[in-house]
Amino acid sequence: MGESNDDIDQMFSTLLGEMDLLTQSLGVDTLPPPDPNPPRAEFNYSVGFKDLNESLNALEDQDLDALMADLVADISQAEQQTIQAQKEFSQNQNHSASLEASDCSGAASVGYGADVTAVSISQYEDELPPPPDDPMLDLPLPPPPPEPFSKEEEEAQAKADKIKLALEKLKEAKVKKLVVKVHMNDNSTKSLMVDERQLARDVLDNLFEKTHCDCNVDWCLYEIYPELQIERFFEDHENVVEVLSDWTRDTENKVLFLEKEEKYAVFKNPQNFYLDNKGTKEGKKTTEKMNAKTKESLLEESFCGTSIIVPELEGALYLKEDGKKSWKRRYFLLRASGIYYVPKGKTKTSRDLACFIQFENVNVYYGIQCKMKYKAPTDHCLVLKHPQIQKESQYIKYLCCDDARTLNQWVMGIRIAKYGKTLYDNYQRAVARAGLASRWTNLSTINTATPAQPSTGLKTSTTQSNGQIPQAAPRVSTILQEAQRQAETAKVRPEGNQHKLAPPVAIKKPPAPPRRSESPGQAGAEQDFMSDLMKALQRKRGQLS
Amino acid sequence: MAGMKTATGDYIDSSWELRVFVGEEDPEAESVTLRVTGESHIGGVLLKIVEEINRKQDWSDHAIWWEQKRQWLLQTHWTLDKYGILADARLFFGPQQRPVTLRLPNRRALRLRTSFSKPLFKAVADICRLLSIRHPEELSLLRAPEKKEKKKKEKEPEEEVFDLTKVVLAGGVAPVLFRGMPAHFSDSAHTEACFRMLSRPEPPPDPGLLQRLPRPGSLADKTQPHSRWLDSSRCLMQQGIKAGDTLWLRFKYYSFFDLDPKADQVRLTQLYEQARWDLLLEEIDCTEEEMMVFAALQYHINKLSQSGEAGQAASTDPGLDDLDAALNNLEVKLEGSAPTDVLDSLTTIPELKDHLRIFRPRKLTLKGYRQHWVVFKETTLSYYKSQDEAPGDPIQQLNLKGCEVVPDVNVSSQKFCIKLLVPSPEGMSEIYLRCQDEQQYAHWMAGCRLASKGRTMADSSYASEVQAILAFLSLQRAGGGGSGNHTQGPDASAEALNPYGLVAPRFQRKFKAKQLTPRILEAHQNVAQLSLTEAQLRFIQAWQSLPDFGISYFTVRFKGSKKDEILGIANNRLIRIDLAVGDVVKTWRFSNMRQWNVNWDIRQVAIEFDEHINVAFSCVSASCRIVHEYIGGYIFLSTRERARGEEQDEDLFLQLIGGHEAF
Repeated sequence: MGESNDDIDQMFSTLLGEMDLLTQSLGVDTLPPPDPNPPRAEFNYSVGFKDLNESLNALEDQDLDALMADLVADISQAEQQTIQAQKEFSQNQNHSASLEASDCSGAASVGYGADVTAVSISQYEDELPPPPDDPMLDLPLPPPPPEPFSKEEEEAQAKADKIKLALEKLKEAKVKKLVVKVHMNDNSTKSLMVDERQLARDVLDNLFEKTHCDCNVDWCLYEIYPELQIERFFEDHENVVEVLSDWTRDTENKVLFLEKEEKYAVFKNPQNFYLDNKGTKEGKKTTEKMNAKTKESLLEESFCGTSIIVPELEGALYLKEDGKKSWKRRYFLLRASGIYYVPKGKTKTSRDLACFIQFENVNVYYGIQCKMKYKAPTDHCLVLKHPQIQKESQYIKYLCCDDARTLNQWVMGIRIAKYGKTLYDNYQRAVARAGLASRWTNLSTINTATPAQPSTGLKTSTTQSNGQIPQAAPRVSTILQEAQRQAETAKVRPEGNQHKLAPPVAIKKPPAPPRRSESPGQAGAEQDFMSDLMKALQRKRGQLS
Repeated sequence: MAGMKTATGDYIDSSWELRVFVGEEDPEAESVTLRVTGESHIGGVLLKIVEEINRKQDWSDHAIWWEQKRQWLLQTHWTLDKYGILADARLFFGPQQRPVTLRLPNRRALRLRTSFSKPLFKAVADICRLLSIRHPEELSLLRAPEKKEKKKKEKEPEEEVFDLTKVVLAGGVAPVLFRGMPAHFSDSAHTEACFRMLSRPEPPPDPGLLQRLPRPGSLADKTQPHSRWLDSSRCLMQQGIKAGDTLWLRFKYYSFFDLDPKADQVRLTQLYEQARWDLLLEEIDCTEEEMMVFAALQYHINKLSQSGEAGQAASTDPGLDDLDAALNNLEVKLEGSAPTDVLDSLTTIPELKDHLRIFRPRKLTLKGYRQHWVVFKETTLSYYKSQDEAPGDPIQQLNLKGCEVVPDVNVSSQKFCIKLLVPSPEGMSEIYLRCQDEQQYAHWMAGCRLASKGRTMADSSYASEVQAILAFLSLQRAGGGGSGNHTQGPDASAEALNPYGLVAPRFQRKFKAKQLTPRILEAHQNVAQLSLTEAQLRFIQAWQSLPDFGISYFTVRFKGSKKDEILGIANNRLIRIDLAVGDVVKTWRFSNMRQWNVNWDIRQVAIEFDEHINVAFSCVSASCRIVHEYIGGYIFLSTRERARGEEQDEDLFLQLIGGHEAF
């Protein structure tokens, strides 16, 4: 039970935290000054929470059910009390607790009902507009008490502050949440509470803590569309709830948590994307041996200038014709402003190019088994579509590449063009999160792979030359030495070294392989819990109507 | 000392007569004759000259120019013997600082004094300091192209020439800001105007002018400007430049270090201007879509720079102003209404309801526009058969979040359509809304635009969006006619949009002004919220993102090859390009470069890359000095570091672009 109970505990604690927030926000008018010390309040709850925790561990599912029912039973009582405007602190607490519970169960209900559904999407109706059967939500937030002696500017200022505060609370109370079921590598699932302000990065961090994986930069949230046979990574800066709210109610789409080395491939081996001489053997040879320093400078050149540099990609790809299963070969070029193709009988100079697509309103996906589904020439397909489109449509564009390498180059190129420097920032955050350790290890392997690489310093030729490149060779080598030294020490005592380099948050736990052993049925237990929440909600609705 | 003579008047020392002309190289200049010996120091000679002229004047800037050797005699402790000067030397005693007319990146003319004796690198640094442009190492001077047709000259109106020849900068002191401009600009109304010219983007050029100006038709044409770069290691005098000549000041190296909107007002503007002219004169190619974005940014920048005249000059710190404005706003809100109203106005979202005609394009449809009752609330558009049915279920409901909004407007035929491409799980659905008049259109259009970005009409930008759309419509009414109406006064030019001034001539040929305007407007909605500097920066970034950005072209002949080819030099690589087709044959990166040599006799540049790759070529379209300097310059620029700040290692630069000894 350990794992899933952990999850439930986590959810409950978040839930209780929310109650706390709600209580505070609803209690603005009763608490004279904005409460400066919420921690105390939280402490009060945590006592309750401990009890809950124990009971959760001890009780069977039926008991959980009963607990839920208890929570729900409070609703009507709380409602009456609030309508009477007898707003005592404890009642507020009850009220908000029940509100939150109903919210949560609402979220869960769809997930259960659809059974296969990975993510339950619900909130839309339950929240905006507020449900008719829950009058509490319709009550506008009570205005802050009017100041009777407000004649001076200071008072106006104080008033403004209060209004601001009230608005913030109002906003906070409206925060939308989803319970997201994330599929792990080992076919197990985890349910997470994701609020609408959380980015994919936050969710990943959350998952890192839950799974005790090694936190390396390749871990990503991954969405798959079984129906369209497409998939892609969430970019770390993307808002998860926003992406998921585009899914339909009966969707088969899933969110996965897995390692994909393609996610940040460009930052590990920029030469594969920036220096790839089209198809020539020579190009491939040189790309393999590139030392860390040169990579860094290539990255800096491409991502740290006034504007980023989009890899120069061009070549013949197959384009699926709208609504047909036939594919046409065309010459495509990637530019920062979009993908272009060379119209028939024209040259590939800028002035002749025709725009195929711009990136503003589309996401790029990998196509899966397009050969089977759409008679694609190869299985290396990329798909461009508006994030909101969920069904087959003529507005989804399919491109097919000759090989996997080209496909990866295009997908990465499109992501660079679309997201720009954000992608690099994401990577750097991911690296920081991964605790730098892996990076140093990388460095050392690269160094040992190419031990005698003199390319950074230019040869000081004895012949009289008019131009010597004054690259600071000593500087470079010291950096490399430093890196090597670091890497070696890292190898000797990996954990000890990390503490020096990494931000303290990053290394809470020693890197451990992701846990794979989980007894079957855990997910089921979770689902039961969800179902209880749902039943409770239904019952509640029944009572009210 | 020199000039001892006997009673009879014979000179008894080894002295001889040296004739020095006073003034700039003018054959009729007055001259003085001195008696000197080979041991005389230059400093002594200078003193004698001044005594001889016997005129009260500040001579401190004067120095001796030796015409035959094309050399300044600047080492005052050297003797005439050491310089090798004999009696036949033609020497001129003239000022080192002389006026020139600079053609700035924004194509305006500016007269200023610059050093004719310092290496050009230094002289440009001084000019940039005067103009308050940071990182002068990125700029250089070119000779003005020879004017072919002088007869047309009288037709062109006299252009305003700005004059900074009177302004003298104290050496070594960082310019102090005064009233938002470097202090030396705030002396007079004229210098202030000068600064405005430097720091404010110019209005779009006359489309006719764009048509007339030469544009490169081929890669070979693009090599032409690069043959005119002056040599950075030698002074202007040595390169045959005379006082009063016209020179072009341009960003030469396309590696713009540390662009900072706050500190780089002039630099940013001039960079923007250079980029804009590059695009308008087709020095760099772009696609149609990209051109529309560039045009929209130009339009936006022009609008802001015209309207910001009063506001911008007064404000010293925009950040503070924003805060003030925000506070004022808040105060007004608080005074004006009870707190409940504030909450009410914040929680109730305005909606639009009206009769509109709707058309849903489908295959095989015979239906045209139909009148519907349309309700637009939050980001959702619902339409009903009639107003009476509004409480019931709508015929269709569309959430406009993430949709594409395309205007389809023709003011003269009173057509105000909004084309919406609305995403839904099933795909995109197209729907056209047809409004009755400008007002209705502006309100609905603004709502649609906000909704497509996920915002509602409660958003603070709604009102300004409506105004912007109305302004656009009025401008389309005025400027849509194209080239027919350049009779407008200067005031009208701020408002009217002649789209032909914003795009390269090839698009003028391709589109009618009527077609161009809506496309520019469409692109404009994505940039409408940018501030002036943000828009300029965005323009520069988009320019930098073009694949052909920052490549300087030269015609060269590679060793072992029988035909001319093009060598492109960019900030990180050399590109070998086929002259006829324009295809890239090969790319070499500077990071793999080990060394390069120039053989001045056969004008050949030889470069060695890693893994023993050797490349050699001779330069055809330009002197191999220029090619050599370009390569060295980029290498130098890549050594810059943020920490070092603005001081530049001049010696390193001169060493890299090299070869003072070679001549």
